[in-house]
Amino acid sequence: MLENMAEEALPNGFVENPIAGSNPPASKKKRNQPGNPDPEAEVIALSPKTLMATNRFLCEICGKGFQRDQNLQLHRRGHNLPWKLKQRTSKEIRKRVYVCPEKSCVHHHASRALGDLTGIKKHFCRKHGEKKWKCEKCAKRYAVQSDWKAHSKTCGTREYKCDCGTIFSRRDSFITHRAFCDALAEETARLNAASNMSNAVANNINYHFMPTPLGPSMAQHFSSIFKPISSNEEAINQTTRGLSLWMGQGSSQGQESIGNNNLHGIHQLGSVSSGTIFGDPLVSCSNPPPSDYQLNWVFGTKLSSSNAEELTVSNSLPLTDVKEAGTQLLSVPSLYSTQHQSHQTPSANMSATALLQKAAQIGVTTTDPSFLGSFGLKCSDSQVRDGNKLCGVLYGTSNPILSTNIGNDVENSAGDLLQVHPAKRRHTMNEESGGGGQTRDFLGVGVQTICHPSSINGWI
Amino acid sequence: MAAVQEDGSSVTSSSHESSPWMRRSPGLGSPSPWIRELGSEERGLCLIRLLQECAVHVGTGSMENANLGLEHISHLASPDGDTMQRIAAYFTQALADRMLKGWPGLHKALNSTKLSSVSEEVLVQKLFFEFCPFLKVAYLITNQAIIEAMEGEKVVHIIDLYSIEPAQWINLLQMISARPEGPPHLKITGIHEQKGVLEQMALQLVEEADRLDIPFQFNPIVCKLENLDLESLGVKTGEALAVSSILKLHSLLATDDDMLRRDSPVALKNLQKVFHNRQRPLREFLDKDLINLYLASLDSTSTSSPLSLCASPKMESFLSSLWSLSPKLMVITEQEADHNGFTLMERVKKALNFYAALFDCLDSAVSRAPIERHKIEKMLFGEEIKNIIACEGAERKDRHEKLEKWISRLELAGFGRVPFSYYSRLQAGRLLQISNYGGYNFKEENGCFVICWKSIPLFSVSAWRRWSN
Repeated sequence: MLENMAEEALPNGFVENPIAGSNPPASKKKRNQPGNPDPEAEVIALSPKTLMATNRFLCEICGKGFQRDQNLQLHRRGHNLPWKLKQRTSKEIRKRVYVCPEKSCVHHHASRALGDLTGIKKHFCRKHGEKKWKCEKCAKRYAVQSDWKAHSKTCGTREYKCDCGTIFSRRDSFITHRAFCDALAEETARLNAASNMSNAVANNINYHFMPTPLGPSMAQHFSSIFKPISSNEEAINQTTRGLSLWMGQGSSQGQESIGNNNLHGIHQLGSVSSGTIFGDPLVSCSNPPPSDYQLNWVFGTKLSSSNAEELTVSNSLPLTDVKEAGTQLLSVPSLYSTQHQSHQTPSANMSATALLQKAAQIGVTTTDPSFLGSFGLKCSDSQVRDGNKLCGVLYGTSNPILSTNIGNDVENSAGDLLQVHPAKRRHTMNEESGGGGQTRDFLGVGVQTICHPSSINGWI
Repeated sequence: MAAVQEDGSSVTSSSHESSPWMRRSPGLGSPSPWIRELGSEERGLCLIRLLQECAVHVGTGSMENANLGLEHISHLASPDGDTMQRIAAYFTQALADRMLKGWPGLHKALNSTKLSSVSEEVLVQKLFFEFCPFLKVAYLITNQAIIEAMEGEKVVHIIDLYSIEPAQWINLLQMISARPEGPPHLKITGIHEQKGVLEQMALQLVEEADRLDIPFQFNPIVCKLENLDLESLGVKTGEALAVSSILKLHSLLATDDDMLRRDSPVALKNLQKVFHNRQRPLREFLDKDLINLYLASLDSTSTSSPLSLCASPKMESFLSSLWSLSPKLMVITEQEADHNGFTLMERVKKALNFYAALFDCLDSAVSRAPIERHKIEKMLFGEEIKNIIACEGAERKDRHEKLEKWISRLELAGFGRVPFSYYSRLQAGRLLQISNYGGYNFKEENGCFVICWKSIPLFSVSAWRRWSN
C-alpha cells in the first residue's frame, strides 16, 4: 500500500459527502476515485476510433459536430427550438463510465472504468498513444496537447541545480539529492587527501582556490568539495546523521591508514623538476618535510597571500615559500595524481573473477587427470619433464598442438597471449564439444561429472 | 614439433631455445625460475587449474596427487600477491586442513595451541564493516524496514541474532529519535557467544540512547545461536517484535549429515562394506564425502532443485519458534552463494567464484600493502573458506545458500515476504554510489535486495513477517 502511494500518486479527488444517506440536488456531487466507478453507472465501451473522434456530439438540426456535450447544448440554444424539443429526454440521466479499449490496460475492465469521457480520451492517448507533442526546451514528449501546454508553461521556470550539475524541477528530490551529493563529495575528498590536509583545506581555503590550467575533472572535484554544506531539512538530517556516523567512522579510520600512506608518499616527493611533475612523482627526497604542519602552512600562507595568483604547475613552481623550508611540496593536484599513481593500477593484473571466466572459456575440465597426473603419477621420473609439462599442457591436455602455440606465446608479452586466444579457444571448443556435450558451466566442471565414475572404479 | 619431450631432455631442439621454461633444468624442488617467467594472467589460470585438480584429488582420496598439487600451488600462491594468488593461498590452506583431518590426532595436535582472540574477531568484523559497504547497506535497509514496520508502535523489541556491530543500532537509535510521534520504548536483545562483545555493545548503545533521550534497554544473551531458547527471551505481549539476522542464520543449517543418511538405501551399506576394508583413518574421513557423492549421483534431484532443501532440524525448530513469537518483521541478510552442496567439488567451485568476487572487491577498496586487508582476508574470508572446504557435518557452519532457497525455507515455515519501500531503495542506492571506488550496485529479485559488486551478486537482504493463518 505504501509503495503504491509513493509511486503512483493517487489524486485526492474524493470529496466527502457530510450528509450520509441522502443525496439532495443542492449538495456537491460525490466524486468517485478514479478507476473505482459507481457500481450503478452505465458502462460504455468505445472503440479507439470513436474515442478519438473529435466531434462526437452532433447537432440534429444543422449537423455540426462538437467535442463536448455541453458545447452542443450551448449551440442548440441558438436554434431557438420550441420548448418541447429543447428538453433532453426526460428519463433520468444515468451516470456513464467508460472503459479503455486497450485490452492490456487495467481500465479495460468495467470495474475499473473511468467516469469522464474526456478523462478516458486523455488516458488512452497518454498510455497507449504516441507522443506527438514535444517540448522545445527539454526533450520531454507528450501525447496529450493539454499536458504539453501545461509542461511548457513550467519548463525551465523553476529549477533547482545541485553543485554537481544535476538539475531538478522538484524541491524534495533536489534536497534529497543534495544531502547525498555533499556526502559523496566529502567522502571522496577525505579519501583522497591526507587527514590534516583536508582539514586545512576545508577551513582555510576560499572558493577561488582552483586555477584553470588543471584538468577539468580536478577543478570540478575541488569546487564541489569546497562549497559549504548546508541542509536544513529534518528528514535529511536524519539520514545524514545516520550515514555520517558510518562515513565519519569509515573515513576517519580509512583516512588514517590512507592518510599515512599519503604522507608517506608525500615525504618521498623531493625536488622534482617542473617538467616531470606528473611523470615521476616518487622521487626520493633529500630533506624530508619537518612536520605535517608544513602542509597546512603551504596552503594557508600561499592562498592568503595570493588572491589572484594561480598555482600553475606547468613550468615553474611558484611555491617559493616551500622551497625555503627545504622541501618542494607539490600542489594538491599532483599529490592527488601521485596518490593514484602510487597505488598500483589493478588493470595490469586481471581480476580473479575475470581469470575464472577465462578459465571456463578455455574449457578447463577437472575430470581430466592427466594434468597433474602427468607429473603426479610419474613423479618418480625426471622432474624436468614434469615441470615442463606443467605449463606445456596448461591449455589443453589432449592437444599437443596447442602446447606449441603456448611455447611461442609466452616468449612474447602477455598481451600477445590474449590475441592468440580466439584461435586457441576455438580449438579447445571444438575439441571439447565432441566430448560428450558437457554442460558448460562456470568453471567448465560438468555437473554430471563431478566425480568421474572411472576414477571411483579405479579407486575401488 | 612437440613442445614436450618424452625422454626428459629439455634443451635440445633449437626451436625451443626461446621458450623460457625449456631453458631451465631444475629439479622439482626449485621450479621457481620457470614459474617466475609466468605472467600474472597465466599464473592465475595455472592456479585455477591446479586448485581444481587438487580439489578433485582431495575429494577422491588420492592423497599423493593432492599433496603434489599443493606443493605446486605453494610455489605460485601467496597471501601477499595478486588476488588470484591470495585466493589460492587460502583455498590450499583449507584443502590441506581437510586432508589433515584424516589424521585426527595430528590435526588436533597442530591446532591445540591456537589462540583465539575475541578482540581480533571484533576488529576484523569492524574492518569488514568499514572497508566494504555490504554491512552498511544491510544495516541501513534493516533499520529502515524496522522503522517503517514499527510506525505507531509504542514499545519495540528487537532481537539481534548476531550482535557484534554497535553501529547498526546506533544508527537505528538516531533514526528512531527523529520519528514524528517521538521515539518508542526500545528494547534490544543481543545474542553473541562472547560476553565481552555484548558488554561493549551495551555500553555504546546505552550511551547513545541516553544522549538522544530514548527509553532504552539492552538485554545481552551470551550463548550460541543453535542453543538459543527463544521462549526464554522474555518477549512480552503487546510489544512489537523485530528480528535482525546478519550473516548468521545459515549456521543453523549445520547438521550432522551422517544422521540424515541413516535411512538411506542398501547401496550405502554395500559401499560401507567396501570402505570398511581400509584401515587408514584418512580413508574413513574421505569415505563420508564419497558416500555423499555417490548418493548425490544416484539422486537425480539433488541440490540443483530449489524444492529439495536439505533437511535441517535445527533450522526448522528455530524458525517455528520464531514464528510462534509473531514477529512483526524479520530482516535476514545472507551471502548470496550456494556453499552448502553435498560434495566438495561443488563447494570448491562455487566458493571460488564467490570469494574471487569478494577478494577483487576488497582489492579495489584497499590497496595491497595494508595489514587491514590481509586481516580481513585471513581472519574473515580465510576462515569461512576453511569452514566451507575443510569441515563437514555439524562443524561446517558456513552453509551459505542462495536467496531462492531461503525464500522456500521461510515460506515453508510460515513467513511471507515484506517488500522494501522506495525510500530504502533510494538510500541503499546512494550509499553504494558513494562507496569507495564504486563498482557496487544492487538489484531486486523476488522482492528482496541483492547487493552486487560488478554485477556479481554477493549478499541478499530480505524482509519477512508472519503469515497469519
